[in-house]
Amino acid sequence: MQDKVEAQPILSMNSVEVLYDNVMLAIKGVSVQVPKGEMIALLGSNGAGKSTTLKAISGLLKAERGRVSRGEIKFEGTDITDMLAQNRVAQGICHVIEGRRVFEHLTPEENLTAAAPSGMSRSTLNVEKEKIYNYFPRLAERRNSLSGYLSGGEQQMLAIGRALVTQPKLLMLDEPSLGLAPFLVAEIFGILQKINKEDGMSVLLVEQNALAALEIVSEGYLIENGRVVMNGTAAALKANSDIQEFYLGAGEGTDFHNVKHYSRRKRWLS
Amino acid sequence: MDWIFLSELAINGALTGLLYSLFAIGLVLIYKASSVPNLAQAGLTMVGAYVVLALARDLGLPLWLAIPIGAVLMFGLGFGIERVALRRLAGRPVVMILMMTLGLDIFLRGTTLAIWGGTSRSMELGVSYEPLFLGDIFLSRIHVVGAAVAIALFVAFMLFFRTRTGIKLRAIADDYMASWSVGISVERGVGLSWALASVVAMAAGVIWGEIQGVDQALSLLLLKGLTVAVLGGLDSILGAVVAGILLGIIENVGADFLDPIVGGGSRELIVAAVLILTVMIRPHGLFGRHDIERV
Ligand SMILES: Nc1ncnc2c1ncn2[C@@H]1O[C@H](COP(=O)(O)OP(=O)(O)OP(=O)(O)O)[C@@H](O)[C@H]1O
Ligand SMILES: [Mg+2]
Repeated sequence: MQDKVEAQPILSMNSVEVLYDNVMLAIKGVSVQVPKGEMIALLGSNGAGKSTTLKAISGLLKAERGRVSRGEIKFEGTDITDMLAQNRVAQGICHVIEGRRVFEHLTPEENLTAAAPSGMSRSTLNVEKEKIYNYFPRLAERRNSLSGYLSGGEQQMLAIGRALVTQPKLLMLDEPSLGLAPFLVAEIFGILQKINKEDGMSVLLVEQNALAALEIVSEGYLIENGRVVMNGTAAALKANSDIQEFYLGAGEGTDFHNVKHYSRRKRWLS
Repeated sequence: MDWIFLSELAINGALTGLLYSLFAIGLVLIYKASSVPNLAQAGLTMVGAYVVLALARDLGLPLWLAIPIGAVLMFGLGFGIERVALRRLAGRPVVMILMMTLGLDIFLRGTTLAIWGGTSRSMELGVSYEPLFLGDIFLSRIHVVGAAVAIALFVAFMLFFRTRTGIKLRAIADDYMASWSVGISVERGVGLSWALASVVAMAAGVIWGEIQGVDQALSLLLLKGLTVAVLGGLDSILGAVVAGILLGIIENVGADFLDPIVGGGSRELIVAAVLILTVMIRPHGLFGRHDIERV
């Protein structure tokens, strides 16, 4: 399966289990490796444990009363399993969380400023901002309007831009394509590819839109019920009949998202 | 209609109102960061007043030294309170955090009572009691000084919220999870808002202590301060200032009309009416933000 063997992965997650509220076992021994400079996809349907996996890596579990109860997570060889989220960002891991949560009452300009590491000089910050506005010219046009009023696509671009300000070595994105028109998805994925190539930034991409994701990544993992059930190169996954049937099937896009919202609502009510 | 008398009522009302704003700004700072109205703001105000009294009267420091030292102590106290009492409540229902601030208020007030006793002491800032004349209008000097402090703090905070630290605080007010995700220390930010609110509480305590003496009655300011904060929108510093001026004018002018009719005591009724009507008609106040809804 694993044809590409790198010297040392930038991220390596070994048999990680996550418990929410000390009772709810959300992922059950997930192992994921992200080779340095590669783009990797994490696929799977609703409730599979994709977001939980990202939160375990970024340290955002704590905010949701979750914890890693078994296994270890290493970033550039250092154990980060119990590190504070803010220190992981400083180490170079940034997580673009699900649902494009921009700071709505701040302008895009201020969103970028808010994410600046405390030690970053004003001039470096300005260089970073210009770089981001170059990647996403739409943001530049609206840099001084309230972010809450941006369109969905612009907000997703801002959420990614905001993460880039932290100068991540590993960028993790949780369903960035959700609810966006295909041409926007293509634009955003194109930029990700470009940054990956030019700056060597590694990417871990969570997607339900397997079709789009497998176009840009080199390798993918399929998660079901909190377990990795498949792992291989993008080409191998695309050729796999199960994947074709369940994730690349016709009319996938919109249906998927309806299902998602439905299950989301159910989760809130329960 | 005596216009000079009416404008005197209005202007003095506005000045008093700005002193309510001084109190309300502290409430707003904490509300922005933690979405909870801090009932301990009254306790902090009393502690602030007593700390300055202790430094100036008991230790004999000059006021220009006692006030900055007091501010540093209050800053530390605010940070400490967040660290010890509130951080562990993160993620709990807001009503629990509200109850905690109530407990803190009782604790802080009890502490001042235990240390400094219940007799009223005077602040003695050295502001003259001679009225100030604005044309034919009488103004109280201490009220003018207090209003100036309130406006200075307002301007300072408007500038602060444009700095990088200030922007991070506003980001925290918007979304904890997103803040964590880009490495902002939400805990430190909330601590900072408590620290700043405690310093503002000291300013209110010193001014109000000069006006009505330093004793347990200072804690009654909470009612008017809370009314101003709610009218202003709870999370808007500008709102706290505008609402303070507004409430002060309504209270002063309204009481002059109503007192002869109801035979005194109408101030409380007016404040209560403003609070109740705000909550009923305009729950997010004059400048409060409501969640952005895109059409
Ligand atoms: N905060 C939480 N507390 C308790 N259980 C949770 C929490 N978050 C997620 N879960 C549960 O953990 C499991 C995995 O959820 P997760 O959000 O990781 O799935 P996902 O693959 O990201 O799904 P989706 O595609 O819907 O975002 C689900 O069963 C979910 O109900
Ligand atoms: Mg998810």
